[in-house]
Amino acid sequence: MLNRLKLGIRSKISLGYIVIILCLLATVVILNNQITSLQKERNFIIKYDSNVLTLTNEIEKYILDMESSQRAFIITGKQSYLEPYDNAAENWKIDFNELYQQMKDKPAQQDKLKEIEETIEHWVATSGEPTIQYKKDNNVEALNDFFKVDNGRQDMEKMRKLFDSFRATENAYTQAKASQLDKQNSKLTSALFGILILVSTIAIAIASGISRSIVKTITEVTQTIQEIAATKGDFTRRIHVNTNDEVNELANATNTLLESVEKREWLQSNVAEIVTNYQGISAITKLAETFLSEVAQKTQASLGAFYVREVTENQVQFVKKAAFADTDDCVGMESFKIGQGLIGQCALEKRVLFYDNIPRDYRLIKTGLGEIRPQNILLIPVIFENEVIAVVEIATMAKFSKLQQELVRQVTETFGLTVNSVLGRMEIVRLLNESRAMTEELQVQSEELQTQSEELQMQTEELTMINEQLEERTKEAESKSRELEKAKKELEESAEQLILNSNYKSEFLANMSHELRTPLNSILILSEMLAENSQHNLTDEEAEFAKVIHSSGEDLLALINDILDLSKVEAGKLDIIFNEVNMSEVPVQIEHTFAPVARKKNLAFHISKADHVVDVFYTDEKRFQQILKNLLSNAFKFTEQGSVTLDINQLTPQQLTNNMQDISTDWLEITVSDTGIGIPKDKHQLIFESFQQADGATVRKYGGTGLGLSICKEFAKLLGGWITLQSTEGQGSSFTLTIPSLPNGIEEEHCQKLAMNEVAVTTVEEEQIKEQPVAMEETLQHEVEVFQGKNILIVDDDNRNIYALKTALEKRGMHILVAKDGLECLEVLQANPDIDLVLMDIMMPNMDGYEAMTIIRQQMKRIDLPIIALTAKAMKNDRDKSLQAGASDYISKPLNLDQLISVLRVWLVSKGS
Amino acid sequence: MEQQFQPLEQNIQLNKHTNLEIDLLLEAIYRLSGYDFRQYNRSSISRRIYNRMGINNIPTISRVQEKVIHDKEFLEQILNDFSINVTEMFRNPSFFKAFRETVIPVLREYPEIRIWHAGCATGEEVYSMAILLQEEGLIERSVIYATDMNEQVLEKAKKGAFPIHKMQAYTKNYMLAGGAHAFSEYYQTDYQYAYFHPTLLKNIIFAQHNLVTDHSFNEFHVVLCRNVLIYFSPKLQSQVHQLFYESLSDKGFLCLGDKETLRFEEVISKYKEISGNERIYQKMY
Repeated sequence: MLNRLKLGIRSKISLGYIVIILCLLATVVILNNQITSLQKERNFIIKYDSNVLTLTNEIEKYILDMESSQRAFIITGKQSYLEPYDNAAENWKIDFNELYQQMKDKPAQQDKLKEIEETIEHWVATSGEPTIQYKKDNNVEALNDFFKVDNGRQDMEKMRKLFDSFRATENAYTQAKASQLDKQNSKLTSALFGILILVSTIAIAIASGISRSIVKTITEVTQTIQEIAATKGDFTRRIHVNTNDEVNELANATNTLLESVEKREWLQSNVAEIVTNYQGISAITKLAETFLSEVAQKTQASLGAFYVREVTENQVQFVKKAAFADTDDCVGMESFKIGQGLIGQCALEKRVLFYDNIPRDYRLIKTGLGEIRPQNILLIPVIFENEVIAVVEIATMAKFSKLQQELVRQVTETFGLTVNSVLGRMEIVRLLNESRAMTEELQVQSEELQTQSEELQMQTEELTMINEQLEERTKEAESKSRELEKAKKELEESAEQLILNSNYKSEFLANMSHELRTPLNSILILSEMLAENSQHNLTDEEAEFAKVIHSSGEDLLALINDILDLSKVEAGKLDIIFNEVNMSEVPVQIEHTFAPVARKKNLAFHISKADHVVDVFYTDEKRFQQILKNLLSNAFKFTEQGSVTLDINQLTPQQLTNNMQDISTDWLEITVSDTGIGIPKDKHQLIFESFQQADGATVRKYGGTGLGLSICKEFAKLLGGWITLQSTEGQGSSFTLTIPSLPNGIEEEHCQKLAMNEVAVTTVEEEQIKEQPVAMEETLQHEVEVFQGKNILIVDDDNRNIYALKTALEKRGMHILVAKDGLECLEVLQANPDIDLVLMDIMMPNMDGYEAMTIIRQQMKRIDLPIIALTAKAMKNDRDKSLQAGASDYISKPLNLDQLISVLRVWLVSKGS
Repeated sequence: MEQQFQPLEQNIQLNKHTNLEIDLLLEAIYRLSGYDFRQYNRSSISRRIYNRMGINNIPTISRVQEKVIHDKEFLEQILNDFSINVTEMFRNPSFFKAFRETVIPVLREYPEIRIWHAGCATGEEVYSMAILLQEEGLIERSVIYATDMNEQVLEKAKKGAFPIHKMQAYTKNYMLAGGAHAFSEYYQTDYQYAYFHPTLLKNIIFAQHNLVTDHSFNEFHVVLCRNVLIYFSPKLQSQVHQLFYESLSDKGFLCLGDKETLRFEEVISKYKEISGNERIYQKMY
């Protein structure tokens, strides 16, 4: 546990410094002591030395002063010169004593000093005092004597020598002392260096020790951090430090940082992942699903639901857009209102709600084995602009960690914007779609309207036309009716005349036929008799002639009969007698008549009668037979090979029209078909006319009068029925006679009605054929109308052009005005505001076409006046310029008259029509 | 409240019934004629039906249905009502100008040019395109397939005869569309119609084709379908756009009407907008 004892870097460094400082202090103390003692010693030496010197010098000086003063006194005798002597005599002893005192350790020197003292005292005693006394006493002799010997001088010499030796000794002593001091000094220096090295070593040791311990941990930390940085975001590594110092604290702090960074990293990467995953989604449901599944995956949630705010009819409610469950697809309620339940509370309070204690009635999570109540529920509002726009609920069987909660919180924070933008985008898309639909709808409506207006226009046009026509017709009708009135009278008269005439004609014909028949009978009978040649008085040739005469006569008779019949019909003189006809006999009779013909022409002849045909049929038997015979003989006549068939059939009630039923309940349908040459479609109508056959060639080939069918038609009419024809050229024909059974004869009206119907059916085609030429006539008429009376202004400077155009246009009814240049054109336009169209040449003197057009459009404001520019061919520039100037159209020179007329029609036709 | 609520309910009921009636009518028309209007824009169809009801004095749509089933002529009439054939020569001249400027230079590089004009109605725009191609000197190597589902209008289109009173407007359009010659060089007139020169017809093939039920029949360098899709429901529009996409050659052009757009279609990603305003798109992938 000692390790755990906190030893900070500061203490370490401080400790080191303290050790070093202590060492230094010790060194300084030691040195100081040494230096102080050295100083003392030196000071002592210096003081001693100087003291000794001074004292010796003082003493010597005093002595010298005494000597000089003594001599001066002796010489002068003045008392004042004695003063220094006295002074020195008094003082030298003091100094001497002091010197002596100082030399107490050196007896040798003391001895020397004693000797010096003795010498001095000797001088004083022998030289000084006595001389002075001599002087004072004026003992000149003595003095002279004295100076003759001058013992004093010896003393002085001696003293000087003594002093010199003293001083030399003293010097040597000082010298020795100094050298000793030097020795001590050098010892001290080396000691000093030794201490310095020692302290340095200690300091270095401490520094390196401390720094190593600090740097090592720091390096470890740095290395770990660098490694973490190098792995780019592996924040799972931690720093381990064994020391218990600030670095450890740093490591711990860094570890804490790393942990929070790791969490933040987890948060950020997950948030980023979720955000990335729901990026680019444009449908709210998809967005909700993605978001929910992402969040659930990150938080290990088992249940989840996503609700989006919807405002309907002033009611705000949250509607489920997505749900998620491990085991179930359908979770959560469909919608809720604000404040409703916990989730509603969440929306109301706009804050995240976290539940640990799940209510008992909370929905259970189903698993394969049973149901589990979730442990935690998290309700998160998605807020945008301080308004809850969606709510997310997730539940887990485990617990949501703080981090997971934080994740959800963070994700939802920015999610509001996305939800809003997606909702906004959806709304925009919806609106755009709506607007597109509306645009399209408008276009559709406008097109419909256009169509309708076109239809209306056409109807109006038609109505107008009809109206105009009616008006015209009315006028015409009025005038015509007057004319008609007149004509009617005339007609009535002439009709009467005609009837009369016709009757005359028919009567005449009938009479004629009758009259003709009488002689013809003679011819027939006589020629027959001749042909028999019963008396054999004729040559064969003559007999043959007679036969020819007979057969020709027969033909002539048949012809006359036909004419007679027809004229009788027309004259109304033919008597129709309706009587019983035994229908079972008809086939037999027909067979009897035509079987030989069939044999002769080698044709098959079939007669068939349907079983339900009534036995007793009321009609005119004679005419009926005649029709059949005519049809059959025609059939045989025009058939070269194949067969002729006669079908007798009775129409069933269903086949009868109302009209037909009014007339009779029994109707027969007798069809004669052949496989002959047939009749071309366009001749179907024709062959029923009198004296008509299909064509001239037929007459030449087959002979006949062409009366047969018209007689049949007339007879059929008289019998109350009709004949229809179906035929294809080259394949055969089939004539169908349809007649009613009329026990009481025929009523006029019915007959006519029926006949009319039939005619109407057959004449449709004819009318159609007739239409075309009428239309062409109309074209010409309209042509004239479009151009008629229109005022055209030709602007051209070339007379030939003008002439050519003028004649061409005037021919079509247009009224032509002419201008030779632009200026004139403007004048003419001003004078004639009713001009309908301008043909404008471009190259003209004075004012050209462009300028004229520009003025017409811009100054005269004739915006709608059609102006056709006449430009030179292939001059695109001209064309563009004339369009810019305001031409309605252009046409290139040389002019093509057809093209010009076309263009004029386009621009003269009234726009609305 | 209740009083207000009642009519609303009735209205919804009414709408439901109307929808049902229209459904049945369209089904009947489809079965009888093969023309499928079931996916057409409902509002337009219902207006056309009401229009016809007004003209013929028919009280309910069901009666219309009855008449459609039993009266062949009436069926024809209704079919005619449904196909709206509003068109004009050089309709939206700026489109033709843009076509001339942006599409023609590309087409010029092709040895042959196939153009499909879907929903050509009475052919005004087909002739316009033929004139444009002639002026650009491309008509000889071009084939214009002009189709419409209505054979009657195709017959009209083949005639190339247009009402003369519309020619003034057409002339203006022609000039605005950048026409290079005199418009009158292309037609002759009588009092009723302007007849376009049959030489223009040489490279035009008119054929019956139903965008709703029929498939593509070739690969085209240009598909023009202007103001046709507006009559379709969005779903049908997408279907037809798919058809156009499949019918276009690589780098082929799709031209729509000025109120139509590819913007909301899925296929937009495969097209490049050549002229957004004129609705010219180029297939890129």
